[in-house]
Amino acid sequence: MNRRTLLGALAGTAVAVPVLSSCASGVTSLDGGGSTGGGSASSKNGVTIGTANFTENQVLGYLYAAALEAAGVKVKVRPNLGTREIVFPALKSGDIDLLPEYQGSLLTYLQPRSKVAEAGEMQNALTLALPSGLQVLPYGIAEDADCFVVTRATARKYGLTSLADLAKHNGKLVIGASAEVKTRQVGVVGLKDVYGVEFKEFKSLDSDGPLVKGALKKGDVDVANLFTTDTDIKANDWVVLTDPKTLIPSQHIVPLIADRVADPTVRKALARLGNLLTTAQLTELNRQVDKDKKDPEDVANTYAKQHGITK
Amino acid sequence: MFELFKNLAKWLTSGSQWAGTDGIAHRLAEHLQYSLLATLIAAAIGLPLGLLIGHTGKGAFLAINLASFGRALPTVGLVVLVFLASGLSMWPVYIALVALAVPSIVTNTYAGMTAVDPDVKDAARGQGMRGHQVLFQVELPLALPLIMTGLRLALIQVVSTATVAAYVSFGGLGRFVFDGLAQRDLVQVLGGAVLVAVVAIVLDLGLSGLQRFLFRHRTA
Amino acid sequence: MTIDWSWIGDHTDDLTSLTFSHLQAALTAVFLGLLISLPLAVVAHRVRPLRGFLLGLSNVLFTIPSIAIFVLLLPISGLTRTTTVIGLTVYTLVVLLRNTVEGLDSVPAKTKEAAKAMGTRPLRTLLTVELPLALPVIMAGVRIATVMSISLVSVATYIGDGGLGQLFTDGFQRDFPTPVIVGVVLTLLLAVVADAALVALQYVLTPWKRRRA
Repeated sequence: MNRRTLLGALAGTAVAVPVLSSCASGVTSLDGGGSTGGGSASSKNGVTIGTANFTENQVLGYLYAAALEAAGVKVKVRPNLGTREIVFPALKSGDIDLLPEYQGSLLTYLQPRSKVAEAGEMQNALTLALPSGLQVLPYGIAEDADCFVVTRATARKYGLTSLADLAKHNGKLVIGASAEVKTRQVGVVGLKDVYGVEFKEFKSLDSDGPLVKGALKKGDVDVANLFTTDTDIKANDWVVLTDPKTLIPSQHIVPLIADRVADPTVRKALARLGNLLTTAQLTELNRQVDKDKKDPEDVANTYAKQHGITK
Repeated sequence: MFELFKNLAKWLTSGSQWAGTDGIAHRLAEHLQYSLLATLIAAAIGLPLGLLIGHTGKGAFLAINLASFGRALPTVGLVVLVFLASGLSMWPVYIALVALAVPSIVTNTYAGMTAVDPDVKDAARGQGMRGHQVLFQVELPLALPLIMTGLRLALIQVVSTATVAAYVSFGGLGRFVFDGLAQRDLVQVLGGAVLVAVVAIVLDLGLSGLQRFLFRHRTA
Repeated sequence: MTIDWSWIGDHTDDLTSLTFSHLQAALTAVFLGLLISLPLAVVAHRVRPLRGFLLGLSNVLFTIPSIAIFVLLLPISGLTRTTTVIGLTVYTLVVLLRNTVEGLDSVPAKTKEAAKAMGTRPLRTLLTVELPLALPVIMAGVRIATVMSISLVSVATYIGDGGLGQLFTDGFQRDFPTPVIVGVVLTLLLAVVADAALVALQYVLTPWKRRRA
């Protein structure tokens, strides 16, 4: 257990320094010994990749597909299956085998009150929290974290720069986010616990989609829960509130996979991709899909070709 | 399964669940508002259209085909389309619900009108009644049962579909279905569904009661 | 709101497969709906006390929001085509059951008596006399159920299926009207074509109506 934590922490530091990122693949070796239960896992009969209902997840799904295909694994992608709440059970039941996930979101889904925030610790917490039959593979260097943003005008009007500033205006501000944010730690619950923030109202909208962004633009909500890889944040000059008390957990992209298909071929192919794809690159891929209206599949395949994953 | 229904009963009867802006009472009121307003607008469009076509016999083929075309309109697609065009507003909800309700109202009104015995209409004209008198004093009362059927069908469909308002950020009982889905709370989903069904059934019974009251002299 | 025509050109393959998947879900549901409602309708037609119960039940099922049905089926049938088809089938029942019962009711009692007098067994009477005579009313139900199912399939996009409905969520997420417009138009076309095909089928199935005409 100690060794895991140590290596996990090592991999965590690798994130900050991309040059060192090959260290992250060191975690792969860990999976050889330990809890995988090994022998029976096989990707021979192919791997079905599911993706949730937002475009970045589809891009990641197709990137996984490209990486696995290049390693000789037969893959099938089922895009746009729905929210995590719908997709996760499908992984357990066997409708899909592999899902691009995010550390923090996955952990708060499994343990809504979890307060673990650091990447390596989180990897361990995930391993412990996952039901049998499922595991997370080593996480990638790319990260797509939750963030809370306000418009430039709102920031000026209320003097907001950090999440702590929100507490000065308790009972006045309206927050918009997808429904689950109301009941989880990285959301209304944690904002109250950690920063003492109380909102006037919670509006159920969507996960970094047209509803929450539209509502922020229109002024229907003051604070919006978005993701850091969203190019609209920059494009609209929105202000991301800082998180001095680290409420928001690390959100590295991590493959969530069923034990039955997690053989060495799959592990290596995904680890390689994880060490390659950076947050900046992922943000750019998202932009191509959301703004240039390119297909997630095409964008992923082009990236895979350009970076030597496929020929 | 038993556990689910026990929790459902608890959810439906807890006082705190009914209170507040995201409580059942408020959501119920919103749902009724969307459904009734949409059905009223649809009736304002569909009834005159159906009566006109039925009375004059003109444009029936076109109207009936358009109505069945309208029935095929995918509500989700319509909502998204109007949303992309108009932004965050109630338009997507009302346009989709009205589009859903109009076909049932038009076709049933028309069917009611054509079912009126031509001999009766001739007799009315023979007595010197004018066109509009024939329409309002003879055809309309005779066609009313089928017209009411159309309205009831439309209302049921609208009540059940008004859940879609929650998809584009608004309230109504659909909130429980969509939020329950997001929060992995099957009890909430089921609770929302049951409430919608109950509203639809109660409104339908109400309308059929009204219908019986209106025609209480007829069969006696 | 402009249409990106080149997107349509680049995606003809996807659009074709989505259209077929859409049609398959709708038709399977109507077929299953018929399979369920035929025997139930016969029961409702013969056993009066059950009639109100069965029709009432199908009415109640119809009032449940489709999205909720799909979600509530997830723990049972998962993220599969089966979930979509079961959900859709439930909604076809309200029309199919009612029309089939009404169709059977519309068969003149004298016709049935004649068949009985000729020594035809009840099951045979049902299959060779009653059902064929009820066919026009049943087919009217099938047409409505088909159009309704085609329109409803897209709701299953919330559970990762939904045929052309996928275009709606895609367009919604990316603020991209083209897929949405294409999805709506294809759904309507599908409904019109399917309806026309059913009219043709009815024409073939009821030759006696033609001869009389």
